[in-house]
Amino acid sequence: MAREIKTGEIVALKKIRMDNEREGFPITAIREIKILKKLHHENVINLKEIVTSPDGNKYKGGIYMVFEYMDHDLTGLADRPGMRFSVPQIKCYMRQLLTGLHYCHVNQVLHRDIKGSNLLIDNEGNLKLADFGLARSFSNDHNANLTNRVITLWYRPPELLLGTTKYGPAVDMWSVGCIFAELLHGKPIFPGKDEPEQLNKIFELCGAPDEFNWPGVSKIPWYNNLKPTRPMKRRLREVFRHFDRNALELLDRMLTLDPSERISAKDALDAEYFWTDPLPCNPKSLPKYEASHEFQTKKKRQQQRQHEENAKRQKLQHQQQHGRLPPIQQSGQAHPQMRSGPNQPMHSSQPPVAAGPSHHYGKPRGPAGGPGRYPPSGTSGGYNHPNRSGQGSGGYGSGPYPPQGRAPPYGSSGMPGAPPHGSGGGSGYGVGGPNYPQGGPPYGGSGAGRGSNMMGGNRNQQYGWQQ
Amino acid sequence: MAANFWNSSHCKQLFDQEEVDVVHPLDKDKGITLEDFKLIKMHMAIPICKLAQQVKVRQRVVATAVTYMRRLYTRKSMSEYDPRLVAPTCLYLASKAEESTVQARLIVYCIKKMYSDDKYRYEIKDILEMEMKILEALNYYLVVFHPYRSLPQFLQDAGMNDISMTQLTWGLVNDTYKMDLILIHPPHLIALACIYTASVYREKDKTAWFEELRVDMNVHDVPSVEASFVYLTALSFWQDLVKNIAMEILDFYESHRLITDERINTAFNKLKP
Repeated sequence: MAREIKTGEIVALKKIRMDNEREGFPITAIREIKILKKLHHENVINLKEIVTSPDGNKYKGGIYMVFEYMDHDLTGLADRPGMRFSVPQIKCYMRQLLTGLHYCHVNQVLHRDIKGSNLLIDNEGNLKLADFGLARSFSNDHNANLTNRVITLWYRPPELLLGTTKYGPAVDMWSVGCIFAELLHGKPIFPGKDEPEQLNKIFELCGAPDEFNWPGVSKIPWYNNLKPTRPMKRRLREVFRHFDRNALELLDRMLTLDPSERISAKDALDAEYFWTDPLPCNPKSLPKYEASHEFQTKKKRQQQRQHEENAKRQKLQHQQQHGRLPPIQQSGQAHPQMRSGPNQPMHSSQPPVAAGPSHHYGKPRGPAGGPGRYPPSGTSGGYNHPNRSGQGSGGYGSGPYPPQGRAPPYGSSGMPGAPPHGSGGGSGYGVGGPNYPQGGPPYGGSGAGRGSNMMGGNRNQQYGWQQ
Repeated sequence: MAANFWNSSHCKQLFDQEEVDVVHPLDKDKGITLEDFKLIKMHMAIPICKLAQQVKVRQRVVATAVTYMRRLYTRKSMSEYDPRLVAPTCLYLASKAEESTVQARLIVYCIKKMYSDDKYRYEIKDILEMEMKILEALNYYLVVFHPYRSLPQFLQDAGMNDISMTQLTWGLVNDTYKMDLILIHPPHLIALACIYTASVYREKDKTAWFEELRVDMNVHDVPSVEASFVYLTALSFWQDLVKNIAMEILDFYESHRLITDERINTAFNKLKP
């Protein structure tokens, strides 16, 4: 996080990691920059500029992408103690997600890493797609060979898990289906710990693929190795029978095994679900949640009373009573199994130094979090990026969720060939390395981690921008 | 990249001719004239092309590389950004941006093979360092639209998509990168201007059509242009612009004949520290 001196505006920084880069400026960063520079939409994160750190060896690091600052991400928000989304709120987020994704797909961009922690939410209720580090442009004929090692495991569609290298926007729609189900269900629906288990979880819910429900599936590279050993029926409608009828209808179309039959973002926006009562609410009407770095805002408030955003934050309790509870069983409850960690005071007045790596409402969420919720410890690093551990808590600036624990193993360490990028290996973007400047604005902010989200930031840096 | 041109950074970055034709003060101090400046830029497209053939990348990568180089020199001096290093580095960067990555190692190897001259002795680290400087100078705007994409569609619409016409216009488009057109005009207008030029050229022998066009740009006089003209009329708003671009192309060809190696060498020699 940093502040632009000229305007006083808070921004988020993402470090472009240059060390160990034998081929100069990473092509992954080039892709991300090209894509972000061409996408301009209210539901897509805005890349403001790219800045180079003035000190140090400027060609060996110290390059940051500057983004608009967002208060929360969907995962962090959903995981807050006592958080329950209302039906209009879920519809509102889903519609924004689909609108943003539709825009990407129209512009021939595949996001390839749709998951809750990459969906950022500001205090105006706006949702924006972020982290285009795995995104790339595609051509409509789907003839290009693309890597199948993309999308965080829990949100990865069956065709990628089966090894296809020719795919299109449907891969993102599967992830959207996973998120949709997660919002309604209250927890991730396919928390696989490795690829075979991931496929198995999918088959258990969606049935086993065959030439009948998915023509051509047997020609996908790894089908014969990974095909289910026993027949399995599609149980989605049975398992989620308590969902609203229209919600279930839409979910069914999103979690369709055959990618060519899977609903598109455009058609999903036309689904009955979004056009029946209760309608999606206006983002502006959504409750405003206190930013996770409340301790910072106190000081800032004094300095920046005019800052409207903060003024709002101040007024609002984060534990708003919703007028309406979701009619769905689980989603109303605060996933009790996740709350085993010690809950710290909500309006954390604790000194920031005491908060440890997770300053997310002091809600430590390491692997101890709960059964089934996290990948087994050891993969808790999320992206098992060797050089990322030990970094401060990530989250989009506000650090609304910790980088550890929540993110499913991204090519988890249990798997061979872990790096999701075909190229890049351990490089790419990482949480700010040890050699980038801490403290002094405007670069007092942090690096970014792919797993965590755009932003990371450690304590010192957070103080940095307050100065 | 697929997004539409009008929303692109390329569109927003179009320059006026006057902005492009500014010789950097540092270069001016060395006696570089506007003529020299243009000549050097034109000449540097050649090593980019040659190198591209060696490392086997598409024409599109060459076009993007040349565009980066031309954009760079609207902001930076040749004294600080040596064209001999900028040219291969632009190709290296363009190969990444156009998804046809070439290893820096290979580029350096090919340069050494192509030139025995010590002036071209660059190592990998030089390329990588220059890449960062260029990225910064370009403000990380890497998306470039080219006339190639709209060309087949236009030719088909004008009913001129036979092989010889396609080849001729394609070649003309290639040649436009010896000028600054790509910095100044929207790519589809450049494509139209090339079609316009080609349709005229195919009817007449070279000198004749030069003469004729200089006297009279009215295309009604040239029967073979009829088809394209119908098409162009539909775009009457752009018609004058297209004609003007075509004129620029023709002017370039004429002046190009007068360029000698000696003049190029003189220009390059001025750059010496």
